[in-house]
Amino acid sequence: MALRPYWKGYLKLSLVTCPVNMTPATSESEKVRFHTLNRLTGNRVVSQYIDSVTGKPVEDGNDAKGYARGENDYVILTDEDLDAVALETVKTIDIEKFVPANSIASVYLEKPHYLMPDNSVGNEAFAVIRDAMKADKVVGMSKLVIGRRERAVILEPREEGIVLWSLRFGDEVRPEESYFEDIDNEADPDLIPLVQQLIRKKSAHWSPDMASDPIQDSLLKLISKKKKAMKPSNKTARGEPDASAKSNVVNIMDALRKSVAAELKSGKAR
Amino acid sequence: MASGHRAQWKGFLKFGEVSCGVALYTAASTSERITFNSINKVTGNRVNRVFIDSETEERVEREDQTKGFEIENGQFIIIDPEEVAATIPESNKTLDVQAFIPSSEVDDIYFDKPYYLTPDKMGAEAFAALRDGMRKSKVAAIARAVLFRRMRTVLIRPQGNGLVATTLNYDYEVRSSRKAFEEMPKLNIEGEMLALAKHIIGTKRGEFDPASFEDRYEAALAELVKAKIEGKALPKRKSVEVSKPSDLLAALRESAGLMKTASHKPKRTAANANAGTGRQRAARGAAEKAASSKAVPQRKAS
Repeated sequence: MALRPYWKGYLKLSLVTCPVNMTPATSESEKVRFHTLNRLTGNRVVSQYIDSVTGKPVEDGNDAKGYARGENDYVILTDEDLDAVALETVKTIDIEKFVPANSIASVYLEKPHYLMPDNSVGNEAFAVIRDAMKADKVVGMSKLVIGRRERAVILEPREEGIVLWSLRFGDEVRPEESYFEDIDNEADPDLIPLVQQLIRKKSAHWSPDMASDPIQDSLLKLISKKKKAMKPSNKTARGEPDASAKSNVVNIMDALRKSVAAELKSGKAR
Repeated sequence: MASGHRAQWKGFLKFGEVSCGVALYTAASTSERITFNSINKVTGNRVNRVFIDSETEERVEREDQTKGFEIENGQFIIIDPEEVAATIPESNKTLDVQAFIPSSEVDDIYFDKPYYLTPDKMGAEAFAALRDGMRKSKVAAIARAVLFRRMRTVLIRPQGNGLVATTLNYDYEVRSSRKAFEEMPKLNIEGEMLALAKHIIGTKRGEFDPASFEDRYEAALAELVKAKIEGKALPKRKSVEVSKPSDLLAALRESAGLMKTASHKPKRTAANANAGTGRQRAARGAAEKAASSKAVPQRKAS
């Protein structure tokens, strides 16, 4: 699994520093991806940059990032310039604090990354930090510049490595109270045992198959069919709509009883 | 319910034979990062993007653009957007609970976007019963629904008086952590090293409110741009010194504030006795960091 690291830098706890690298834990590379084609020629459509004033195409390598200083006046910044931003958090994940595992509300979790030692020099120092967090059931808090923003990040030990989560900013997360304030805070106590009975009947262990993508499967089928035929076909399976009516269930108790009975009959009960 | 907010989706939550009217509200938005303009280095003008045919290099208008799937060596199968649309099942507006899984088995690596899930008036009773039943049984629900033109798997968990529904990334989008970490050596840290590291953690325990976090990047970038305009030397970060494996124990001891003098060897049992010294040392570390780049990083005694 020699994936090209997405970021290289250092992990630091007090006076202990080790070289690390990081790759995103999620990726869209396996997703069925379409390209844009020119219907008339069947060739690919590509984007091209043109100068907004001269109207001429801009040669590759001549486009640069510009920071607007005024109307039509830009300061050009190279990648090396950007790398020189005077923040230690561009290259170093300095663990400032430790908080109990699971104390960060999950709505703040934005994107997971896998963090690991970059070379054997750092193996032991990395393992010390990881194992101490494991032993104390804590996660580390730090800051890191990702995608030209400084993010709050948490570090969670997982197996041999560490998962680094970037956190959403405070103004990106909406307070749950204003959504939940009108909801009953107590359920009818007679209903709860029935719900729990239903839960038992429908209980399962987590498996990644639960997050499968049936549409991607249909697309792949469509593509392979086309590839075989190499001519367009009009027949594509339309998903059959589930016609069951979803309106008001008047008696929840009855419905729950029916559910439990149905589950029992289906023999899936554990 | 949830007055004053606009629902992202309205439909039904179905578990067993029970269904109740619910709405999904975005729990988190994404704010924009700093955007740059693309500039032609030669003229200093902004650049615009146009779409051209890769062979003829002529402009291709939007109505002439279609979708294609690359099979091999640059060969494409043209697929009509309508054919793609036909693969999407018609939405039945239902979050259909497929299973309940133990809360301890929830794998957050799959988490995509969080939504607040709330009932309508008619559904309030069933909603509250499900929420409390799940909480008592310590489970999360796995539901499926057509959301925003894709079939999504949604993890539903009780939170306060409501439910939080988190869309999950597809199985093929999540890299296995086992595979990612498989080449790492299996090291188990024990004894003094672990005790020292735990001691350091003890001195840095605290609380964190993500809402209070400030992004300093834009200010740092503005400084950089100013320096560049004024033709000043760009700021330089201190170089980082990596702890050598042979220095690791000394670095841990020093971090834990145990190393009074280079010659004095602390006893193992002292690992937890010196929290005060540890804090002092940590404060000194912070002061050093704030000081100018001239500050020489503290080295470990050998």
